[in-house]
Amino acid sequence: MNKASDLSLINKFKNGDVSAFEEIILKYQDRIYNVCRYMLGNEDDADDAAQDTFIKAYRNLSDFRPDSSLYTWLYRIAVNTCLDYKKRPFFASIFGGTREDDEVVSELPSNEPSPERIYESKQTGHALRAGLKQLSEKFRTILILKEIEGLSYEEIADVLDISIGTVKSRISRARKELKQQMKKIMEQK
Amino acid sequence: MRCKKAKELISPYMDGELSEGERKMIESHMKDCGNCRAEFEEIQHLHNLVAGAERFNAPYGFSTRILANQETKTLRNVLLVPLFARFAGMVAVLMIIGIGIVSGRFIGRSFSFQKAGNIAALFSLDIFEPTPPDSVGGVYLAMTEARDEE
Repeated sequence: MNKASDLSLINKFKNGDVSAFEEIILKYQDRIYNVCRYMLGNEDDADDAAQDTFIKAYRNLSDFRPDSSLYTWLYRIAVNTCLDYKKRPFFASIFGGTREDDEVVSELPSNEPSPERIYESKQTGHALRAGLKQLSEKFRTILILKEIEGLSYEEIADVLDISIGTVKSRISRARKELKQQMKKIMEQK
Repeated sequence: MRCKKAKELISPYMDGELSEGERKMIESHMKDCGNCRAEFEEIQHLHNLVAGAERFNAPYGFSTRILANQETKTLRNVLLVPLFARFAGMVAVLMIIGIGIVSGRFIGRSFSFQKAGNIAALFSLDIFEPTPPDSVGGVYLAMTEARDEE
């Protein structure tokens, strides 16, 4: 995520080179889609929200201030878009169930895993997703940005527009909460 | 360092977000405190678990669909129209106004050189000679005048 190359793309776009925006999409589409997928929990909404994120970015890129990073700006739009999606009244009624939790973890970390390892991994993946789902919106968002996207505290503070102190304490509390939720889920099995 | 304070620092310690002094304090505390060490290991295990979770990539054709979106198309067209074309109408109006002002001043200045009488004469029919000397009418008039004199 090179800030200089991002700025060069933004300048090209501002000078009318629309292909620069396509480069921006290709550079960040997987990260943005992944955040949306974890925040919304299903493919279709994640796809729509990620597209909306880039359309909003397209609309507002001319007003982008270079004192912020392009990717933290995109993450901010993505998080806010997903939160808006979740506020839609029909969202909870359609996707409030456990559709995502029942999905099989398709990529396993080890080579040629044993059946026991596959089962264990599925169980852990299931518990992790279910645990994340049980968290409050604030805790889930901050854990996705920290653990799944690997952002630093400073970057998270920029995305969520909160202080680094708040990031520090919120991540700490979110991890404790997730640990408890996962413990509960594993005990129920 | 007390356990309460240490537990607050375990998470940022694992993320490498502590200052040098804080890092040394928590490491020294965990050497002696089994509880805090166990908590650190649990948090680290959870961190590895979440960090190793499946990643989802954008579906095939994602960027194409965004660029084909009607809204981006419209915005793109606006961006593609060169600046001079977008403001061509305004420039044309300004040019017409400018030409009007310049020519108005020029005409006004040429009028100022005329005397008031001349200006009045400009609008008077007296300045028109009905039969200029070289015209057919003038010749005819001269001939009839000469005949009358005879």
